[in-house]
Amino acid sequence: MTVGTYRAEAAADLDSMAEEATFAALRSVDDPEYPGLSILDLGLVEDVAVQGAAATIGLIPTFSGCPALHMIADDVVAAVEGRPEIDLCRVEWLPSPVWSTDRLTDLGRQRLAREYTVVIRSRDGSLRCPVCGSSAVTDQSLAGPSRCRSIAWCDDCRNPVEVMR
Amino acid sequence: MEEFERFLDDGGMVEPGDDMPDAYRHEVFRFIEFHANSEMMGGLTERDWIPKAPGLRLKQIFLAKTQDEIGHAHLLYMVAADMGMKTRTEMLEDLYEGRSRFHNVFHYQAVTWADQIAIAFLVDAAALASQKSVFANNTYGPYKRVLKRIVAEEGFHMRHGEEMLLRLTGGTPVQRQMFQEALDRWWWPSVQLFGPDSPADDPLIRWKIKTETNQGLRHAYVQKYVPLLHSYGFEIPDADLRFEDGEWHMGEIDWEPLKATMRNGGPDSRRRIETAANNWTDTAWVRESLEMAVANRASAAKTSAVA
Repeated sequence: MTVGTYRAEAAADLDSMAEEATFAALRSVDDPEYPGLSILDLGLVEDVAVQGAAATIGLIPTFSGCPALHMIADDVVAAVEGRPEIDLCRVEWLPSPVWSTDRLTDLGRQRLAREYTVVIRSRDGSLRCPVCGSSAVTDQSLAGPSRCRSIAWCDDCRNPVEVMR
Repeated sequence: MEEFERFLDDGGMVEPGDDMPDAYRHEVFRFIEFHANSEMMGGLTERDWIPKAPGLRLKQIFLAKTQDEIGHAHLLYMVAADMGMKTRTEMLEDLYEGRSRFHNVFHYQAVTWADQIAIAFLVDAAALASQKSVFANNTYGPYKRVLKRIVAEEGFHMRHGEEMLLRLTGGTPVQRQMFQEALDRWWWPSVQLFGPDSPADDPLIRWKIKTETNQGLRHAYVQKYVPLLHSYGFEIPDADLRFEDGEWHMGEIDWEPLKATMRNGGPDSRRRIETAANNWTDTAWVRESLEMAVANRASAAKTSAVA
């Protein structure tokens, strides 16, 4: 569990209905590039503050300059304000901490690997193929279809693999 | 072949090491190469508009779209090259020397910023509908896996297209007129993007490389986009377009423009291919330096092994 999500869920235990509603809403917001993967599982949510019926959500981008930021913020506002318990939601993009793959939840990692053939590099730098499980995965290009992913190739099952970085 | 077709009918997936009939390998390869070329040429088109996009946010969007398309091309070329019919360099050289095909829409010129919006709104939607049909039942494993991410990312582009269109339609009469003129230029290429009507016994459908006929996809697209464009107050440049028996029917399609693009003889084909080819030769030094660095490292390793 990531720091941001952990802190966020601990806050949710503080019992207010408005906070619970806010979390339920955040869980329903998917990353625009990965339908089915919530921004909570991607580790984008750092702070959730609810006062009365007003929520302030602190998010961190996977990389600055990501073109999806305004879309994610719009989706968060729409989802949170869509709850009857909340009448105002504000989103802030926080300059720190910096996002890293450590912030992904286990469910987030599983979804990325299973649904999108996207993996995370392990601490020793090795890669495991999400299709066949082989470790014969070699880096191909630092630049992938997005700034947050690079391209590798599995020599065993011969599938391209994308690496979240 | 009959046995192979039964295997596909039972939901079988083909993986790179598997036996497959030559005809199937050939069709899948051709299809992926065409898709890769189209992503490549599409990416270069988006790139042209980064400096011209009005405002930082739109420049950011076009930067990201360019990176998406070139990244998709890269993944697709890897899958295609692995099929053993052409190397990646051969595919790129064929593309740059005008021996390959790519989507019709990249053979036309985008005249104004509104063209770029028409492309993002109309062309991307047509491409996405066609890719979804290819993804739905695709039998070649590595292609299906790449398509899953491509479809998700193209869906994201569509949202940008809608956002940009809404901004323009809410604008001045001049801006609305700009979009109408762009629509006049892009409507027919968009409906032709699906390709000519599929033959009755299309091997691409029989082998589940795609799911629906080109005319079926085109018809569904027209049902959705005609009322949508009408609702924004724009006119479709088709005098024979009519609503009958609860459905929109298009006038007759002139296929000559599509045929011309397939021969790389479209209005802007030559300039586009030339630009892409220059891009390839201008960056030769990067590939050569990398090859040299790899060779140096290998010879250094050899020397130290001897010592």
